[in-house]
Amino acid sequence: MAELRLTMTAEARKVLTDLLRLIAPAAARVSVNRAKIPDADPEVASFWTETLSAQAGEEARLLATAFASAKGDPAIIVLRNEAQSLAFLRALSAVRFALRDLVFADIPDSQLDGAEDLEDESLPSEKRHALACYSCFGLLQQSLIHQLDSEA
Amino acid sequence: MGKPKLKPEIKTESVVQPSPKWNVVVLNDPINYTDYVVLAFVKVLRVTRPVAKKLMLQVHEEGRAMVWTGDREPAEMMALELQQWHLNAILEKDG
Repeated sequence: MAELRLTMTAEARKVLTDLLRLIAPAAARVSVNRAKIPDADPEVASFWTETLSAQAGEEARLLATAFASAKGDPAIIVLRNEAQSLAFLRALSAVRFALRDLVFADIPDSQLDGAEDLEDESLPSEKRHALACYSCFGLLQQSLIHQLDSEA
Repeated sequence: MGKPKLKPEIKTESVVQPSPKWNVVVLNDPINYTDYVVLAFVKVLRVTRPVAKKLMLQVHEEGRAMVWTGDREPAEMMALELQQWHLNAILEKDG
């Protein structure tokens, strides 16, 4: 598979990189905490916890490296192969879950992807900022899915 | 006079209980896009795209779908792999 590219403005890259730096440690915790780990067998539970923790760490590193390496304007994230692209896709999902749980747990699901919230002056600016980033991560995810799966 | 040879008749029967099956169930979530879920099913369950799409629609419309049934160990691995895609996958004992 040829390499895949995700393009964004330099400003978007900076904003998303800053947010990732802030949220990455908590995102890893959210990822493990929200997993439904079977608790009947301690050995299995321990294996799941270790696997998911290791993955969360890898996802945080992958995102940090990808965004840090995307220089220029427009900034371009280059994903070398399918395995890396799929890992990046999963990492974006983890960040969106973390933002959902940590920043705007009070916003109903139905409104999450609505652009109207970004214009909602009653929301604190940090929350609107996080919502904009949440949408951007979603757009990157969708762009990647369409490159990976032509039928999507 | 020789002793009659008695051969005791011993019947043995082994009863093998089939091990219970486990279902891997995926619950709906508000974060992941439908196309993302389809891709996850194709990669993890190794099903065709139309099958993956049908399962995704069931999750989306009914809130849950049983995506795989089998022995406990492979079911656990499959549920873990789906969770690595950040899907809400749980294990349920069949029956």
